[in-house]
Amino acid sequence: MDESLQELEEELKRLRPRGPSPDLTARIERELRSPDTAAPEHYAVATSFPSWKWRGWHWQLAAAAAAALVGVFFFWEQPGGVVRQEGPPSPVASARPPQLGLPASSVAAVEPGATSAAAANFYRPVGATNVLYDLKDEGTVYLGDNQPARRVRYRYVDTYTWKNPATRASLKWSVPREEVRVVPVSLN
Amino acid sequence: MTLLDKKQLPPMEAAHDSTSWKKWFTDYGPRLLLCARQWTRSLADAEDVVQEAFVRYWRHQRELPGDPQALLITSVRRAACDLARKEDRRAAREELADGGLPEREGYFESLPGEGEERRVEIESALRKLPSEQREVLVLKIWQELTFEQIGATLGVSPNTAASRYRYALAALRSELEPLCHG
Repeated sequence: MDESLQELEEELKRLRPRGPSPDLTARIERELRSPDTAAPEHYAVATSFPSWKWRGWHWQLAAAAAAALVGVFFFWEQPGGVVRQEGPPSPVASARPPQLGLPASSVAAVEPGATSAAAANFYRPVGATNVLYDLKDEGTVYLGDNQPARRVRYRYVDTYTWKNPATRASLKWSVPREEVRVVPVSLN
Repeated sequence: MTLLDKKQLPPMEAAHDSTSWKKWFTDYGPRLLLCARQWTRSLADAEDVVQEAFVRYWRHQRELPGDPQALLITSVRRAACDLARKEDRRAAREELADGGLPEREGYFESLPGEGEERRVEIESALRKLPSEQREVLVLKIWQELTFEQIGATLGVSPNTAASRYRYALAALRSELEPLCHG
């Protein structure tokens, strides 16, 4: 960097950023004094999710599990465990869940004569993301050998996406995940 | 002596131990506010963003390991982005109606005598910089971050941060008349 740029750099460093207004300091003080309503609750066990976010997931997961059970029940009720179609495919038949990740040929082998329908129903996994939406430092805990450790709880939503190349339709599946990390620390 | 002499300030790491946020905020608040102003439309918005980020930090993040400065700057930037998304439509309408929102509040403290005129010139030149150059300049000069830290904060490579910094200085130099010494 040449000399004139260095001089300019030094000149800039001599400028002091303007301070926050007294009003901002007062606002922060008020907020820090008030009870922390935004703080996530403490969770006694990993499967206890009393916050509203998790309540919503409870209902969705319960509904999905119930639907899966009903689906399995009807599947096994069919002779040979395979749905047979007679005559032209009905709208109900075409609304079955897609064959996730299965190549079209394997689907066609299950149902000969339905090759084009199976190919159109082929979904390919195209992406997986996870979003950290909550983090709670749960403080110091002690391991078996009295080694102090910090326990931090992370909450993610994992989202998986499949796409059907033939119809360009996509399917997303999101599921909550909780992760607890215990990191040994030194208090010296 | 530079006005931002590090010896005058408590180390950023003191945030981990200090129970008094006021002292810490007095020392570091101005720098955070200057950062926030690069990512917001007005001083009022910048103060809102600093408040949100600082309170979140002080309540939930100050015990976390790692560099508190980087954590706070990232937090300020995220809060500014959230605010920008929320306010985008409203602000665009207001700008259209007002013919733009001239920022009247200065970035820096006033200086005595001729220094004040120079400060105004510098601020005016800073505002003319492209935002991606200005944010790098602010993080480098007034937050004293390395290019690696700036890159991590802004999601660009350290080389990109360094080249933006050099472009910013060169653009400022061409905009400003050289300071007459003596």
